Formats: sequence, structure tokens, C-alpha cells
Amino acid sequence: MKAKRAKRLLSAALVMTMLAGILGGCSSSKESSADASAEANTKTEADAEKEPEAEKEPEAEADASGDDIAYPEKGISVICPWSAGGGTDACLRAFCEALGKDLGVTLTVDNQTGGGGILGHQAIADAEPDGYTIGMITFELATYKKLGTSELTWESYDPLCRVNTDAAAITVNAEWAKSNNITDLASYIEYCKAHPGEVQMGGSSNASVWHIAGGYLMQETGIDIQMITYQEGAATAVQNAASGFIQGVTVSLAEARSFIESGHLVCLGVMDEERNESFPDVPTCKEQGYDITYFTQRGMAIPKNVDPAIKAKLEAACEAAIADADFVDFMKNNGQAISYMNSADYTEYLKQSAEDVANAMDTLGL
Amino acid sequence: MDFGLLFESYAAVWLNPQVILMTLLGACGGVLLGAIPGMTATMGVALLIPFSFGMDLIPSIGLLLGIYCGGMYGGSISAILIHAPGTPAAAATLMDGYPMCQKGQAGKALSVAMFSSFCGGVIGALVMTFLSPVVANMAMNFGPGEMFMLAIFGLSVIIAISGKSIAKGLISAFFGMLLCTVGLDPTNGIPRFITYKQTGLLDGFQFIPTLIGLFAVAEVIAGVERIVSGEEKQEKSNEKIKKVLPDLGTIKKIWPNILSGGLIGTFIGAIPGAGGDIAVFVSYGASKSASKHPELYGTGIPNGVAATESANNGCSGGAMIPLLSLGVPGDSVTAILLGAFIMKGITPGPMMYISELPTVYRVFAALMMANLAMLIVGCCGVRFFAKIVSVEKKLLYPIILIVSLLGAFSINKNVFDIGVCVAFGVIGWLMNKYEFPLSPILLALILGPMCEKNYVRFMNIQQGNFFAIFRSPIAVVFMAIAVAVIIYSIFNQRKINKRTAEAAE
Repeated sequence: MKAKRAKRLLSAALVMTMLAGILGGCSSSKESSADASAEANTKTEADAEKEPEAEKEPEAEADASGDDIAYPEKGISVICPWSAGGGTDACLRAFCEALGKDLGVTLTVDNQTGGGGILGHQAIADAEPDGYTIGMITFELATYKKLGTSELTWESYDPLCRVNTDAAAITVNAEWAKSNNITDLASYIEYCKAHPGEVQMGGSSNASVWHIAGGYLMQETGIDIQMITYQEGAATAVQNAASGFIQGVTVSLAEARSFIESGHLVCLGVMDEERNESFPDVPTCKEQGYDITYFTQRGMAIPKNVDPAIKAKLEAACEAAIADADFVDFMKNNGQAISYMNSADYTEYLKQSAEDVANAMDTLGL
Repeated sequence: MDFGLLFESYAAVWLNPQVILMTLLGACGGVLLGAIPGMTATMGVALLIPFSFGMDLIPSIGLLLGIYCGGMYGGSISAILIHAPGTPAAAATLMDGYPMCQKGQAGKALSVAMFSSFCGGVIGALVMTFLSPVVANMAMNFGPGEMFMLAIFGLSVIIAISGKSIAKGLISAFFGMLLCTVGLDPTNGIPRFITYKQTGLLDGFQFIPTLIGLFAVAEVIAGVERIVSGEEKQEKSNEKIKKVLPDLGTIKKIWPNILSGGLIGTFIGAIPGAGGDIAVFVSYGASKSASKHPELYGTGIPNGVAATESANNGCSGGAMIPLLSLGVPGDSVTAILLGAFIMKGITPGPMMYISELPTVYRVFAALMMANLAMLIVGCCGVRFFAKIVSVEKKLLYPIILIVSLLGAFSINKNVFDIGVCVAFGVIGWLMNKYEFPLSPILLALILGPMCEKNYVRFMNIQQGNFFAIFRSPIAVVFMAIAVAVIIYSIFNQRKINKRTAEAAE
């Protein structure tokens, strides 16, 4: 039955490729090459779709032969729960390039989006545990159970490694700060305490990492601020803060970067252990006497019950990929911090952060 | 404005063979992707970003802009020929483009669309080159209240796109608005009309599967019905396409539509969070209201196609303005372009104009070239695309259906979306049968969420005081225009109905 489905998908893809061919067949030499690239795209998509189903049998064979790990023998499908072109996608695609070098096969990123990342996260957990479908899990995983949107937790996966973290930062409108004599985190908190419920800060969408960052800030400092949600993402929140519609944002430094550089916004403190390399002048909250660290995280995971030998191989590949020069360069240019943790540490970390996130969500009444 | 530097940058870009090649490649890919329902310019850009890693900044930006501009035009090809808008923004082109095709003027419709796309794109690129700082400043002043009123203004166009009956148009629009309420509410994530188990509907009805269903699948069902009842007549493409560009007479007739469309597209595109899909409807409404013969709109006249396609491509220039000067992307494609800049170590934003001015000018030049590349690719293709009309219908419909369903699936790789697409196909077919217009549903689907989230956000920030909206001049202006548009279009519709009745006698 599954083979039938795969066949159907394949034939559908073929028809589409044909149509692309027909449409593009107007045949100047320039166009035929574009045609080829369009066809290549449709093909990779078709591949990604049929892979999870097609890989069943080799896995059974590998099991039968015990510890013999002839893995990987085929391309690996990597599920990304967020859309193409976003931060998670960019990080994952670069990481897959590096992983591919070590494993010697092609890794195809498959964006299964929707439901605030739930659909993709679910697909990773439900994938055939043969090592040929892996995926990237992100911060939002810690919120689903608490929100009641899904039963998924960190326990639904076998975590491989943490790849990246981006810290939240308290960034406010420069004019507003100046007119209220706010120069650092202490004066900001003092102002918020004097004006409870008046200061409005933007995060991104509801129950997203930056929204919860605001809750965490309130919980740790005892201030009362109003969090405004921006379903369309951090960029709009940052723009609204820069134009003074709201007083500030709790998004990452990278997202507020252009307006900090232009002087529209000032960052009062970054919720990280150390200062950000790209912003050496921005102090951490810790330096200012507030022990607040809060960041989003992304890491690789596989479904439960994967052969330990395969898992070990993937873990080793991840460790090698993290140090890959191209990947390091890419992440640096992209303003994303690499913060590797091995499988055991990452598992422990996910457990701890699930509790922290739940507490911060209580503060926000989520 | 440093004209010496501008000239130098143009020369550097336009004489660089690698940039020319990449831009042409991008335009070809964009036109093809845009023409396939469900494959949008956004997807094309996202897919090709990894290929541009190894290139220098300007060739890779040329490639991506080529896809962007090509995709904007490509969407109109399938909208005109097979009633399947390839991109959301092409849905308005369909209103006059498809009737033109049915009248046997497919080639003319395509060439008008292409020419208007090109002109609109050039207008956008010119505004971007010379007015970026002014427009960016304007975009900065759009907060939640202003966005809410902009959405209301957009909704006021509904009457103009309703067809014969205002009542039926409003019913369609409210149906669309109701559809927007399904899913998690955008502010607090409370499930509406669903439970958390229905993961396929958590984000509501997905826009592209709904769009493809309402137009393409509905057309296939209607077509099959015609074949079964023997009414389907095979159109022979008797139209001789002598010139791939519209003739002078046509251009004389459509140039005001192109000019206003290009400007409307540029300015709406420049507002972050509002894009081509809104601009095309506003431009269509504007050109219909200004026309001496509003009754001809929707029956297949080149003016309607020109108004929408120029707005559509004007947007690409407009959306680049906040991207470069504020670092805030104007739409989903520019959001991906933002990533491409950052990867090359350049952060778009106010500082870019100071520290990276040559790069900014080169991007202007690359956008201009991307528009030209789109025109060249379009010219090569017009004759060929138009032949699709003469493909035997029994063969064409199954292909449209398969491509449509695949397109609906590929957006989220979610099988549920195929079901959504088919269901809306049936709804669209029934609505067509009973003469309910489909475009108002679409406009409501685009503007509904924008209305809701900005309204709630505005009320949150103002602590529930709606009258604070009168403190914003921009919001008040939009409100006034919206009221004026509604009143005017009611009168206009009466005039149209009267004239149609006279013509019938």
C-alpha cells in the first residue's frame, strides 16, 4: 500500500516536471538551463516525500545483521518544522551541508510546517526509527504540552545535540528611554516598578520564545509590564518599537540590530552568560546584577528506538559538523551563536528548560 | 543622491556578464515557478538561496530578484489561461484576464500582462531609486492603528469587485471573513471552531490551498460538467500573435492604468505587512472607479489586466524599500532576501545607506535588470504559453487538477491541505453556478487576519480606547477614503447596472 502511495506521488511529480518542461520548452539555450534547475527542484522534493516510506526494508536487513552498521547507505531526510528561509531553516540547511560531508550522503531538508511547528515536530517523533529521518527540534517544543496544543515533549525524542542558542535582549526605544532617564537595566526596572502595567513590550507571536522571555523577565525582577504579541514575527515588533508605538522589545539582538545601529533603539541588557561578539558594547543582565539568562535553542533529534549504533554514528557526525569551517563561518555571518551540547547534556538541558519555561508561562497566564 | 555613483553602479552591474546570466536564469525560473499554482516566488527564492551561497553578493541578488520579478509575472500566465492564479497576487488579474482568454484574446492578455508587469516594475524600481528615504519614513509611521485602517480601506474595494449584485458580493466577503476566524486566534492562541487535535486547521484554512481550490479546482469541476453535458467547445487558437508586445493603440488606452497601478503597488508594497495581494485589488478598484466605462470591467478588457499586473510588479520595488532602508521586509520574499544579505555580512537598515551606499545602488541596478530580464523571458514565451489554450480540454483538465492538488500539498507538505483544496473547489463551483463572485472571498481572506490582529493589538496598546485612532492622521485619511470609496462604488454600481440593462435591450 505504501509502495503504491509512493508511486502515486512519484507519478504526480513526473507530470509536474513534464508540465514544467512544456511550459519552459520555448527553447532558447538560456532557458533550457533554468528549466533543468526547476526540474531538479521538483525532483528533490519528490525524493524527500517518498524517502520515509521507501527506506523501510534496508532497515530490517540492518537489524538482522546485528551490530553491523552499514549506515548510512542512502540519503537522509531531515525534517524542519519551520518554513524555508527562516532562522531555523537557514541554520539547519547549513548544518546539513556539514553533516553530509562527514556521513558521505546527501541530507535533504524537508520543511513540514504549520500549527506553530507542531506538525513538523510530530513528524520527527512519528518517523520510522531507522535513522533515515532525523529532524531539528526548537524551543517551542517546551511550550506545547503546557499550552495543551500537543502531547509532544522533549521525552518524545532521542536528542542528538544542541546546535544553536540565541539570547533574548531587553531593547527599548531610544527617545523614550532618554526622556525617562533610563540608561541601564536598573533604571528601567525602577521605572517599571513606578509605573506598573504601563510599559508595553513586544515579543513575537503568542507563547513564542520572545513572548515568554517577557514573562521570565517579570518573574525574575518582580516588575509588571504588558506584553504585546506580534503574530507576524519579531520584525514588526521591532519596527513598532523603533517608531514608538510600543516602548521596547524582548527579541534577540540580531533581530533588533539594524535599529540599534541606527540609534532608534538602545539595548539595556542581553540575557546571556557572556556579551554578544557582534555587540561588545551591550552589557549582559548578569553584569548589572540581575541573574537572568534566557535564550531560544535549536538542536538535532531522532525518533525513539533508533538502533544505538546508528545513533552513535549520528552523534559523532554532529560533533564533527559543529566544528566544520564553512558551518562556523555561515553561523557567524548569520548572527547565530553555535552552542554545542552532546546528547547527554542536551537531554538534561531540555528537561531543565521545560520546567523553567512552564514557570515563565505561568507568570504570563498562558 | 550621488548620480556619479549611481551611474557607476549601473555600469558595474549591467556590464557584468555573470550578473546578466544569473538574472536571466532567475527570471526564467521565476516565470515557470510562478506559473505553476502553489509554487510561489517565495518558494523559488527559498529553494535557490543555497545555490547562491558560493556567489558574490550582486550576482546572487540578481538571481533572487530575477525569480521575484519573474514569479510575479508568471502567476498571471496560469490565471489568464487556465483560471488558476499561480500566485495570490495574480488572483485579481484573473478577473479580466480569463474572460479575455475566453474571447480568444489569450495572446493579447498575456502581452498586456507582461508589458504592464514590466512598466510597473520599472516604476517601482524608479521610486525605490529616488524616493527610498521618503517612502521609508512613511512606512515607519505605520503602527497597529494605521494598519487596521489600511485593511479597512482595502475591504472597501469589495463592492468594486463584486460583479452584478452588491448583496451577493457582500455575502461572499462575509463568508471569507468567517473563514478567517477558524483556527488559533492570532493574539492569545485560543482555538476557535476547532480542537487542538485538528492539527491541519490550527493555523486556519491555509491560504494557497483555499485559493487554488476556489479558482483552479472549481474551474476543473465546471469544465468536466461542460464536457459531460456536451457544452464544451474546443477553442481553436485562431489568434495570430504578430507582435509579442501590445500595439500602440492598446498602450494608449492602458497607460493611465499602468501608471496608477505601478504607484499604488509601490506604496502599498512599501508598507511592511501589506503586499502585492492587497495592492492588486486596490489598483483594480481604483481603475474601475476612474473609468468612463466601469461596466466593461470583468468582461475581459486589457485595462483590468494592466491595472492589476502593474500593481503586482510595482510591489517588488516597493517591498525593497523598507528592506534596504529599515531592515524590515515588506513581504515574504523580501524576508528571505534579508537573510541573503545578512549571510553575505551586510545588515540592511538605516546604516546601509551610510556604510554600504555602492551596494545599495547596485541593488537598484539589479532590480531594474531583473525587470528587463522578465520582459525578455516573457517575450520569448508569449507565443508558446498562448498555445496551452488549444490543448484538448479532456487532456488539460486532469493536468490542471494534478498540478493544483500537488501545489496545495507542497506549501506545508500536509495531506490535509489537499482536502481543503478539493472542498473549496466544490464550494467555488457551486458559488459560480449561483453567481456569487469569488474575488471578495479572497480579499476577505487576505485582509481579515490583518484587520483582526492589528485591531486587537491597537486596542491592547490603547487600553481599549478605540477613539485614540483619531489621533493618527494616517489612520483618519484611510478611514475617510474608505467611506468615500464605499459611497462612490454604490453609485457607480447603479450606473453600471443601468448601462448593462440598456445594452441588453
